[in-house]
Amino acid sequence: MNITDQLLGALSQYGLPVLFAVIMIAAVGIPLPISMMLVAAGSFVELGEMKLWQVIVVASAGAVIGDQIGYGLGRWGGHRVVARIRRRGSGATKIAQAEAFAKRWGAAGIFLTRWLITPLGPWLNLTSGMAAYPWTRFFLWDVLGEVLWVVMYVMLGKFFSDRVQALVEILGNLAWVIVGLIAALILGWKLLRYLQPAEPLKGAKIVAER
Amino acid sequence: MAALVLVVLATGIFAVRTVRRAMFWRAHHDEVIRPWMSIPYVAHSYRVPPHVLYQALGITPQPHDRRPLNQIARGQNRSVDEVISVLNDAISRERAYHPPGAPPPEPGRSP
Repeated sequence: MNITDQLLGALSQYGLPVLFAVIMIAAVGIPLPISMMLVAAGSFVELGEMKLWQVIVVASAGAVIGDQIGYGLGRWGGHRVVARIRRRGSGATKIAQAEAFAKRWGAAGIFLTRWLITPLGPWLNLTSGMAAYPWTRFFLWDVLGEVLWVVMYVMLGKFFSDRVQALVEILGNLAWVIVGLIAALILGWKLLRYLQPAEPLKGAKIVAER
Repeated sequence: MAALVLVVLATGIFAVRTVRRAMFWRAHHDEVIRPWMSIPYVAHSYRVPPHVLYQALGITPQPHDRRPLNQIARGQNRSVDEVISVLNDAISRERAYHPPGAPPPEPGRSP
């Protein structure tokens, strides 16, 4: 039996504590099949084995607590590692870029990586902490995004309760298509700007006309 | 430029996989039975009465039975593949007698 079968078997048998623990650990950055867990929990709701409000509250709490651990690791636990990376040649630039990204895309980045671009979620928790992004704002957008994600996946599982495996496979592929499209748009935009010739200065043009 | 080509290629592969999976989903309604599933879930997924599956495995039906198939297999000293095979046979028999779409049979009247 693979890890997915074992975790889903435990979810079926023990219910909410397993759901909470797995989602919290995954939010810190350990890759676990959380989409499958949420969709399966939705199907168990449909079967009458779990209560909808309990699933939503427990799963959202697990995700939010895991995200706070990731943020805390970036903000307080990661200083030594960050200092080490800074001392190395290109490390300082990378840290600066990560911090700039977290600061620039702050609220939108946090919100969207909770439910739409989920593979980037744990990474953004760390960089938000490293960039000392205000915790209250991080928490607010985190809660909004995670609740939306949990409700979305649990309801999908509830509605398609007889075909959860196929549904999760489609959702998993779709998440990477979205990540790829966003990355392609950013790279394409940068490439366009790089290829465009620099505009001459207005003052220089006036002088040339004279 | 190379990064853009790589990203577009990877996105294309995932997009094709998504569409293929969605098409397969439309054509095939049955899930593959996995060790994590409980008997009520399998019955729900295959739209057969749970008592048919319990009967095939020689188990007394239980209310709110959340045991996964791997645990049932352990309890019966069988492999989980054997349990899944028994369930697949029971589903095929049930569907032969009561095709999907027909009114559900009453408990105890199933073959």
